[in-house]
Amino acid sequence: MKKKRTIGEWARSRDGQKFFVITAFMIVPLVLLFTFTYLPFGEMVGYSFFNMKYVGARKFVGWKNYIKVFQRDDCFKALKLSLYYMAGSVVQLLLSLYLATILSFKVKMGGLFKGLMFFPFLINGIAIGFIFKFFYTRGFVFDTVLQWCGFRLDSLPYWLRDQKINNWSLVGTSVWRYFGQNMVLFIGAIMSVDNELYEAAMLDGANRFQQFLYIILPGIKTIIVLNVILSITGSLSAFEPPYVITDGANGTGTYFVIMHEIAHTQQKVGLASAMAVVLLIIIMIATLLQKLFFKYVFRSAEDEDKRASLKRERRLARYGSEKGGNTL
Amino acid sequence: MWKKVFALLLTTAMTISLAACGSGNAASASDDAPAPADTAAEAPASSDSAVADTAVSDEPSSDSSAPAGELSYTTLNLDDYKDFTASIKYVHHKTDREEDGTMAGMIAKFNEEFPNITVTTEGVTDYAEDALLRLSSGDWGDIMHIPAVDKSDLSTYFMPLDTLDNLSQQLNFVSSWSYDGKCYGIPYMANAQGVLYNKKVFADAGITALPKTPDEFLADLQLIKDNTDAIPLYTNFAAGWTMGAWDAYIGIVSNGDDTYMNQKLVHTTEPFSDPGDNTGAYNIYRILYDACKNGLIEDDYTTTDWEGCKGMLNRGEIGTMVLGSWAYAQMQEADSHPEDVGYMPFPMSVGGTQYVSAGGDYNYGINVNASDENKTAALIFVKWMTEKSDWCYNEGGYTVVKGGKNPDMYSAFDGCEVLSDQDAIAGEETLLNDMNAESELSINAGGNDKVQRIVVAGATGSEEFADIMADWNSRWQDAQDELGVEVKY
Repeated sequence: MKKKRTIGEWARSRDGQKFFVITAFMIVPLVLLFTFTYLPFGEMVGYSFFNMKYVGARKFVGWKNYIKVFQRDDCFKALKLSLYYMAGSVVQLLLSLYLATILSFKVKMGGLFKGLMFFPFLINGIAIGFIFKFFYTRGFVFDTVLQWCGFRLDSLPYWLRDQKINNWSLVGTSVWRYFGQNMVLFIGAIMSVDNELYEAAMLDGANRFQQFLYIILPGIKTIIVLNVILSITGSLSAFEPPYVITDGANGTGTYFVIMHEIAHTQQKVGLASAMAVVLLIIIMIATLLQKLFFKYVFRSAEDEDKRASLKRERRLARYGSEKGGNTL
Repeated sequence: MWKKVFALLLTTAMTISLAACGSGNAASASDDAPAPADTAAEAPASSDSAVADTAVSDEPSSDSSAPAGELSYTTLNLDDYKDFTASIKYVHHKTDREEDGTMAGMIAKFNEEFPNITVTTEGVTDYAEDALLRLSSGDWGDIMHIPAVDKSDLSTYFMPLDTLDNLSQQLNFVSSWSYDGKCYGIPYMANAQGVLYNKKVFADAGITALPKTPDEFLADLQLIKDNTDAIPLYTNFAAGWTMGAWDAYIGIVSNGDDTYMNQKLVHTTEPFSDPGDNTGAYNIYRILYDACKNGLIEDDYTTTDWEGCKGMLNRGEIGTMVLGSWAYAQMQEADSHPEDVGYMPFPMSVGGTQYVSAGGDYNYGINVNASDENKTAALIFVKWMTEKSDWCYNEGGYTVVKGGKNPDMYSAFDGCEVLSDQDAIAGEETLLNDMNAESELSINAGGNDKVQRIVVAGATGSEEFADIMADWNSRWQDAQDELGVEVKY
């Protein structure tokens, strides 16, 4: 039975002090978070219901901007380009996981390789854009390298001009830039897997691939899930490669590039805000779906739900009784 | 369960803020990326932006006949004032000319004719803002380059130099700082819109006369392709703003009407229809489409390089580029063949005449509050600078004095009608901006992607030219409906 306390007593008590200390520590980050994230976001949601420019009068138009987002053919056509970047992010994750696994075992000059492959991530995205603009220019770097390998210039495509292939070229730059970062995150996670497990697995006769499948993969699933979510989100909001390399022209304008164009060149701030909100909802749905998916894929003994364990027990019991029946 | 939902929401929020960070970086980079655009815009924009900021009001200016009523540019005879004594101050924005001694040299020459007029000069960095501040303080000197003030306020700060009617008989581009029939400013130099070309490439291709119509131009491009190794027309597709530069020709150049761009365009129901006589915006853009369709542009237009193209034009690796006269000097300086760089009027003739769209740069203005003798001295100085200093000529500007000598780069402009766009009608100053935004065509306002679309459609055959123009027309009409703009033309 708790005895009643006055507010003053509560404030001096352990509970009260705890509350004040926590609040005091939290208030600064919370205020910052609110002022610089949630407040502007709220404002943006507000803008999405207006027909407005950055300056001048605004007119309330209700859901009209949202209807326009779904009616305009450029908005959702741009979202289709995200599929390219998603495919790229799958390649990127597989590649970085593969390299991370190799590099986390003893490899000659492993540190150097890690450094070299992480390096692109350190370069400014705009600089990368300019690098690749020259890289893909007809007869420049990429074509020259391919010619060394025996390709003839005539048989090579125009990497940025040909609309069948230019999005893949852009995705390539994005993969090149980010796989090193993914790899380093994976290596970090793999390092945290207990070494004794490998030893035990080797005693049991598991080969490298089996070790990867049954020790490493479950051990780093959290970081994999995080990387996948970040990559898919990143694919939906791809911006730098198309903006810097092709200016979003020639069928490479992603959703973000179109949004930027509408917000800054056409100054349709309301419509662009509505596009941002729609993208946010799409990203939330995508994240939710991924969460559910991974929850299903990475079931493990500890966080199995009760029905599954019941089912298993029942199955074991049945198996046991069948076995028992047979021997009898 | 709720913990998980919360964690999920938090993750989402974090990823989104991450995504936002990403875009933030990129957006700030957009300031860097098309850097040439800024330099490009600077030269021709100064007068335009000034024009855009001015609001014409209907209230009559009471002191329009000014204190120095008899003093006027056209009646002032320089020879009568050889012994005039005064001391005046001139504030301007050409800090580079102040530093390299050009300004001092001009003043010295001025003093040979007018030994008793002392002129002190001051070059101001960050002129556009600084000049406005000084203007409001009132005590800034006697002559200044007019900053972006409202036209209705002109008479508060500046002395009327003459009536617009009188002045426009002797000088070009004087209407941009005129109000109520009186003229308050005279541009120190002017820029024109034409086409850059390489003279040697034209000669090698066997082109004897400069093209005057779109079809002649396209035929010449074909000649360049057939007879030389040069790229006939370099689009500068990748830089973006260089494509938007095509918009600069759809006004005066395409129809010879100086009221079209700022007054009639917004009320035109089908600005992109084919007038049928090889004029109009339709045929301006058709040149680009046909050039792309016939392979008369660079091989890989998606990887063009703005800095690189300057040297290429200079060396004769490029035949033509469609850019304003401000680019001429840059092309000349880019490599070792400045003599090959040429400038010609846009190949379009309206009723047999080639029209050139040109506009004044900064204008001289004289302080209305200066003493009478300083006003006289200032007017002497302005008249001398305009007519005898050769400053405009030396800067490569189009002549301000009617019939005055032009730099050699404009030699092809003889016989062309040179006009500059009239201002918007009172009350409709922002209408073009609104229409640009609503239709998303952004004519002369960063609508690069619409011109890029022409290149892609022409080069790949993905769209017919007439369909693109029809689409633009319908977008323009939708915008007119949306904004309730009256259709008059």
